[in-house]
Amino acid sequence: MAGSHIDNAALFAVLSSLADNKQAIGRRYAYWCNGAPALEAAVAAAAMTQDELGHARTLYPLLEDFTQAESDPSQVEPMTRTLHYHLAYLDHDFQGWSDFVATNFLLDTALTTFFAAAQNSSYEPLRQRARKIVQEERIHEMHADGWVRRLAKAGGAVRSTLVASLFRLWDETLCWFGPNDDPNMQGLYREGIIDATPDDLRRRYLQKIMPTLSSLEIDVPVFFNVDTKCWELRQSLPWNAWDSVTRRKSVGLS
Amino acid sequence: MNSTTTSAPRRREALNETRVWQVYARRKYEEPLHEIGNVMADDVELAKVYARSIYDEFSWIEMVIIPRDNIVTVIES
Repeated sequence: MAGSHIDNAALFAVLSSLADNKQAIGRRYAYWCNGAPALEAAVAAAAMTQDELGHARTLYPLLEDFTQAESDPSQVEPMTRTLHYHLAYLDHDFQGWSDFVATNFLLDTALTTFFAAAQNSSYEPLRQRARKIVQEERIHEMHADGWVRRLAKAGGAVRSTLVASLFRLWDETLCWFGPNDDPNMQGLYREGIIDATPDDLRRRYLQKIMPTLSSLEIDVPVFFNVDTKCWELRQSLPWNAWDSVTRRKSVGLS
Repeated sequence: MNSTTTSAPRRREALNETRVWQVYARRKYEEPLHEIGNVMADDVELAKVYARSIYDEFSWIEMVIIPRDNIVTVIES
């Protein structure tokens, strides 16, 4: 019923990216269902895989309701979709368990920050899903925090491998929210679909992850501003290496 | 012995969990908590995640974990 379709390119773009990232995270996690360091961690990885793929499966059907899907309906089905708006970090298999932990700690937490900002969304289908996802992600956050602490405190090669994984993902994750004048995210903010601008989202995100990183003395380019009592970036993000359509690192740039 | 052969076991040893947690749960308020198994984790938050994901066969109304080394034996035959 074309008449009832939603015409919102910004929302369509961001939902596509959310769904693709959740789908790609689930696929990468799945590999570690029998490769985690311990049986307990493997079972938890399996549960988290199910959750991530479940989140993707609740998001993809929303795309069908958009005018923007009409030109190529195959792009709203995960099995036929050829566009990939997930982070470039997820293009390849994880190099080790530390990539799993970094993805959960950095990227999944970033996506959850977005969903948390959509819990009172003016777009009802997202509001309903966001509340459920935020609830389910609490366990993932406990897992992420526990494993970052565990790997960091192990010291030596274990710690340095974790830090390398975190650094490979760092810039691209922070860029995902977009520059503060990102037309898509600003559009969602203006329409009450989310309650934060890209800079607000990034600030909220840093407040979530920095207490752990700071307590473990993992040196990321962030400082605590005592005046604003907020964690802030020490340097600008590499926007020239980020693609605003795919919301990922541009191909060919490292 | 070269560094490649020694580094892998060391990394594994560094991640070996040593703490055992007994897991107790119940499905109804009128039931007492009963032991349903155990998990190994050095971190209490990870132990909670593991207990939830491993023993998820029922909709428990309560689940608790207790470090095994806190259990005091009173009678042992």
